[in-house]
Amino acid sequence: MMVKLIKKELVEYLKTGKFYILLFVFVFFAILSPITAKFLPEIIKNLSQGISITIPPPTWRDSFVQFSKNLNQIVFIVIVIVFIGSVSEEKNHGTAALVATKGIDRRKWVVSKFLFQFILSVLLLIFSFFLCFYYAKLLFPDTQFYAAISSTVLFLIYLFFVLSLTIFSSSIGKNLLQSAGIFFAIFIVINILNILPKVSPYNPMTLSSIESQWISSKVAWEDAIKPSISSLLLSAILIISGAIYFHNQEL
Amino acid sequence: MLAIKTEGLSKYFKDKRAVDNLNLEVPEGVIFGYLGPNGAGKTTTIRLLLSLAKPTEGTAHILGKNIKETRSYLNKIGFLPEVPSFYNFFNAREFLHFIADLSGMEKPDKRIEEALKIVNLKNEKKRIGAYSRGMKQRMGIAQAILSDPPLLILDEPTSALDPEGRKEILDLISSFKGYKTVFFSTHILSDAERICDMVGIIKDGKLILSDSIDNIKKSYTKRTLLIEVDRPEKLMGILHNLNWVESMSPINNKGIKLEVKDLTTAQKELPQIITKEKILLNKWELIEPNLEDIFLEAVHNDG
Repeated sequence: MMVKLIKKELVEYLKTGKFYILLFVFVFFAILSPITAKFLPEIIKNLSQGISITIPPPTWRDSFVQFSKNLNQIVFIVIVIVFIGSVSEEKNHGTAALVATKGIDRRKWVVSKFLFQFILSVLLLIFSFFLCFYYAKLLFPDTQFYAAISSTVLFLIYLFFVLSLTIFSSSIGKNLLQSAGIFFAIFIVINILNILPKVSPYNPMTLSSIESQWISSKVAWEDAIKPSISSLLLSAILIISGAIYFHNQEL
Repeated sequence: MLAIKTEGLSKYFKDKRAVDNLNLEVPEGVIFGYLGPNGAGKTTTIRLLLSLAKPTEGTAHILGKNIKETRSYLNKIGFLPEVPSFYNFFNAREFLHFIADLSGMEKPDKRIEEALKIVNLKNEKKRIGAYSRGMKQRMGIAQAILSDPPLLILDEPTSALDPEGRKEILDLISSFKGYKTVFFSTHILSDAERICDMVGIIKDGKLILSDSIDNIKKSYTKRTLLIEVDRPEKLMGILHNLNWVESMSPINNKGIKLEVKDLTTAQKELPQIITKEKILLNKWELIEPNLEDIFLEAVHNDG
């Protein structure tokens, strides 16, 4: 049943164009990040018109710092916008009720949506990483694979958390706006909690700051253990809660 | 055996009892019309039966399964919502394949073609999003009957259809008589009268009448007589004070439409009055009550 539901999601994303939006965003920033890193200093120099600006020569690290920033900011926003209505809009439009009356397990329905979103995001992330790596290697032959892939793996764990928060918010909310409100309210609270020194090492938000550190200096997996485990645990709680809530919800 | 049995089924919202202590019995194989004014609780009842809403009190048994204990009965039900919603990116055939997948149907191609033929969408290639309301209604019926379920729950199945489409759907529902149970809500009383074996009338969440159409007609208290006489004014003057007369109105200066409270008394006394007053009787006709009369009487008496 899960495979059939995932198949329907795939058809929906292909037919409604959502897949191509995600593909474009991932590909665009994968290509743009190393190019920006390479040529932005030269562009700034040319625009300075006689003013003396000292810019250190760009390195492969700048490509992946740029890539990481783009993933954590623009790609993050696009992912949330595309996925946030996955359950709530079906409730709003009445298709959730129609599917529920076919006797399917509603919990599986929610989990299948999450799985589809995660699989799609992972595939796009892998594709965009290798694309970014290819261009970075072209422009900066000394590009290091290990640090780059390690920071992307961290983003993957962070993405898992973001997607679980998205599916949770979508399961709780009655429509797209309500779901988005729930998502950003929780997201802001988690960000605020990051200022507490005792919470910070376990906070999923820590993962995104470690990403840049790994690229800029060195990979230290011991720093990522606590936030990774807590992110995965929190994600599991969010997915299960969302599925149970939807299972018992009136449609 | 009963296809649907509700026991004190109730659904309360903050300030409204949408369904109030509903005790309904729908035998297997009958076509049951669920009637009521707007806001009476018809759709809420259907949502409760389909586990889309939770009862505040009471329960229901669908095909022998308690709705509070399981949802497994749902795969034996075909459901048409009042406003059907679909995945607009699918075309009809693709959508029915998806529904067949959900229903666990094996090799559904033949059945899909049959369902599309029945609802006259066989040659429709465009996406469902571009369908008219009537086409969506027919699409909804196709997905409801696709898995050939023993119980169909249809919420206003003919409301968006043109007369020809309505006739086709009513004929289709009628063809299920005897081997499928159909529970359908409607406000089109003529549709219910045409095809239903049984009806239930709900008002303000309460079931005020539920029986076979024949029994309901027999128990209907008011009867209408059409009388044509040579001196209608004189007859009306005499009838005016009789206690078995409910109301009367003249028809074209030669007849009277007479509503009586007690038909037996009227049948005995009226000929005597006509004979005694030497009035010439040209026509005497007893008009059978229709569902609309019964519905209006039930709804107004209850209020």
